[in-house]
Amino acid sequence: MSILDEWSNGILQHDPMRLYRAKRDANHGAVSSKYAILGFISSGTYGRVYKAQSLEEDGRIHAIKKFKPDKEGDVITYTGISQSAIREIALNREIDHENIVALKEVILEDKSIYMVFEYAEHDFLQVIHHHSQTIRTPISTAVLKSLIYQLINGLIYLHASHILHRDLKPANILITSSGVVKIGDLGLARLIYQPLQPLFAGDKVVVTIWYRAPELLMGAKHYNKAIDCWAVGCVMAELASLRPIFKGEEAKLDSKKNVPFQRDQLIKIFEVMGTPSEKDWPGLVHMPEYPNMKRLDEFSYRLAEWCQSRIRSAQGYELLRQLFAYDPDSRLTAKDALQHKWFHEEPLPTWNAFQSVPPNQIPPHRRITQDEAPSMMPLPTQNAQTQHTQHMGASSVHHMGAPFSKPGSSTSMSGGGVYGQSTATTGGGNGHGGGMPSRKKARMG
Amino acid sequence: MATDFWASSHYKRWIVDRATVKRARTEDLLYVDDPDYLDFLAIYFANVITKLGKKLQLRQRVIATATVFFRRFYLKNSYCETDPFVVISACCYVAAKAEESPVHIKNVVAESRALFSQENYNVKNFPTDNSKLAEMEFYLVDDLECDLTVFHPYRTLLTLCRTESCAGETEEGEAGELSVAMGSAGVGIGSDEGPRYWGTGQGQLELTSAALQTAWFIINDTYRSELCLLYPPHLIAVAAIYLTFILHPPSRISSPQSSQSDTHSQSHSSVPVAGANTQPRRSSRNAHSESSSSKAVQPPKPQDPITFLSELNVSLPLVATISQEIISMYALWDRYREDASPDVPKNTRDGGSPMTTGATSAAGSPVKRPSSRSGSMVLSGSTPSGSDLGDAAVGLVGVGAGTGDEIITPSFLSSVLLRMREARLTDMAQPTGGRLVAVNKMLERAQAAG
Repeated sequence: MSILDEWSNGILQHDPMRLYRAKRDANHGAVSSKYAILGFISSGTYGRVYKAQSLEEDGRIHAIKKFKPDKEGDVITYTGISQSAIREIALNREIDHENIVALKEVILEDKSIYMVFEYAEHDFLQVIHHHSQTIRTPISTAVLKSLIYQLINGLIYLHASHILHRDLKPANILITSSGVVKIGDLGLARLIYQPLQPLFAGDKVVVTIWYRAPELLMGAKHYNKAIDCWAVGCVMAELASLRPIFKGEEAKLDSKKNVPFQRDQLIKIFEVMGTPSEKDWPGLVHMPEYPNMKRLDEFSYRLAEWCQSRIRSAQGYELLRQLFAYDPDSRLTAKDALQHKWFHEEPLPTWNAFQSVPPNQIPPHRRITQDEAPSMMPLPTQNAQTQHTQHMGASSVHHMGAPFSKPGSSTSMSGGGVYGQSTATTGGGNGHGGGMPSRKKARMG
Repeated sequence: MATDFWASSHYKRWIVDRATVKRARTEDLLYVDDPDYLDFLAIYFANVITKLGKKLQLRQRVIATATVFFRRFYLKNSYCETDPFVVISACCYVAAKAEESPVHIKNVVAESRALFSQENYNVKNFPTDNSKLAEMEFYLVDDLECDLTVFHPYRTLLTLCRTESCAGETEEGEAGELSVAMGSAGVGIGSDEGPRYWGTGQGQLELTSAALQTAWFIINDTYRSELCLLYPPHLIAVAAIYLTFILHPPSRISSPQSSQSDTHSQSHSSVPVAGANTQPRRSSRNAHSESSSSKAVQPPKPQDPITFLSELNVSLPLVATISQEIISMYALWDRYREDASPDVPKNTRDGGSPMTTGATSAAGSPVKRPSSRSGSMVLSGSTPSGSDLGDAAVGLVGVGAGTGDEIITPSFLSSVLLRMREARLTDMAQPTGGRLVAVNKMLERAQAAG
């Protein structure tokens, strides 16, 4: 008995969770036992996304997002599950809506987190590319309206649930093969019901620069759902014109991580919307960047002109105008946007956004490739060490073009750099084409 | 989701029945000398979580979330097969992230080591490196089934009740947090956008700030039990309000006269109870808040709290049951004493102060709970004056729970826990996988009973 005591003491001292771990490891389901990986979809700062087929009877297709372990700087010290993964997991476990990408399950295995999502064949960015590069025709009003309608419908749900998305952009808005819009990537999203800390305390910079609302650009410390509505306006304009409406260059965070004045982005907005006045936006003078803004040239309002050839509907212009209200408090809410007259005039929005599209003009299927870093998926033969180094190397290649995003998104993201310095410094200056190399590479691989 | 409890993972997956809670302790029962110790461990662990949370400067809601995570984890696991201290650290770490106020893993490890190595916990081997805690975080999140959004009764309390002078009650600790919560609910966004998520009750109940604090502290205390697994948080909140009425003389809460004096008087003397010793230094704030809020006050009308509660769309029998369970928890807690330890001054109310000062020895009276350290119901500043409350409490608890029972301390429970874990390991080591220790335990117990 005394030997045993000593033995058990040793265990308690040195490996207190041994019993628990043994129990856990005995009955845990590996990703590879449940899903067959079909190929690699995209990568970003948060990890990589794979297309996978369930090994269950239904053989359903899924997108599996694998998070990289959180690390600090270049030193690899495992600091646990990242805040963004916790957010995305926590929020996704609570929500359920037709227009939001559904989380099927989360698998925690070998220090990696796998989020298994429903699969969506397309996304807004890919549709934009298809129209601008391949078929070289604008997106029809019927499709445009259906996409925006469903996007707003999903956003209403998020906002009613007190969730800010904080990163709406074409690459994050998916479409299933049956034409249903699915808002994705809640990695920056936040619950705003009775926050313990003000929102800005958590994340200094939110929303990819081209879709970032003026109050954020002006340095507002408090913001609300209206930032998502501004982004909806940007997305609508981009669908209509096939290029970002406010395509500014992002000023980078300095070495002390101070958020700089986003001069170029504001100018891009002013060029279309005119310089804001105190009449439009009573809170303007209290904005931290107000003095900087006053030094910019004056611009006049020409959204109506901009819309003439692109939106081709007075109501459509009206909707856009209200989504682009400078004053966050008078900006159209998601709820009011859905009631807008534009959605009640012909052509009416449809639940299959592609309903009116001839089969030969439907955007192509999402391209998948062989994974350049196959070690990202668990392979029984590999030991943990090589797995880790390989994955670091491979993902740094992908960093060049794109923070986490869906295929094709790297192009519009290259100027974004919301997620961090590494992305911004390597790919940021190249503008629209900046992400192309990595994307092409992914496709050839 | 934030407003819809009925669609939440909390409601759908994590409200369980008592049998389930009991079943979760099956393994532990085999290794514990006295089944009662398991209930004391429930208090013990909650206190440890609170202490660690304070060291990490977590807000009360984060601590509450960590405690709920802990309880949920041990619905699926046994104390004797795990290291509850590592689990506690992981719960605090994950809760801080889930509540959007993250702390660094290094701090969690350092503070945990410092706290747990104290004599009364006697944990010598808490891991030094982050990876052990990170590993535990992983297992924890998995066992929590990734359901990391937790609802708490505090929200219901603040939705249902209001007070005239809440902004004046700025003490440090919980009281401060309460007023912060009252004042700034919904930074950036109106928090009043959603309807109440359980029903259609109208209006708000007006409480004195002392009463509101009492209710807040009772809610804090409920996390010492398994109540958060058994009942929806809004019902716990209503029970806490109900108990507050019983503990606070109703005239102070709801009678027309008192409400009149509360709302119309600008002088502090009319603010009932609430730590007279601290009032002077917050006088200016107090006056300000009263004058600003008195504008919004409707003509005072008699407000019958019981009527108010009965008009809520909740099951009153259930509320009564929960209230009973809170009272039993207090009775049990009365036998639990903090150890005298270097960092706990012996003389303070919160230290190991004995309940038995003649007058109160008859009952495990909730008001005499020695625990202001952890934001318990009774705070020094707001302890309602003597006898009426004592009487109420005696009436509440009924049969005295304390007399003659042994006193349980953290040191004692730490050794109980260690013995359980050792015994479990010893049994695991049996070549046959038998359970000699467990069988012996049962024999001992049977003998003692026979």
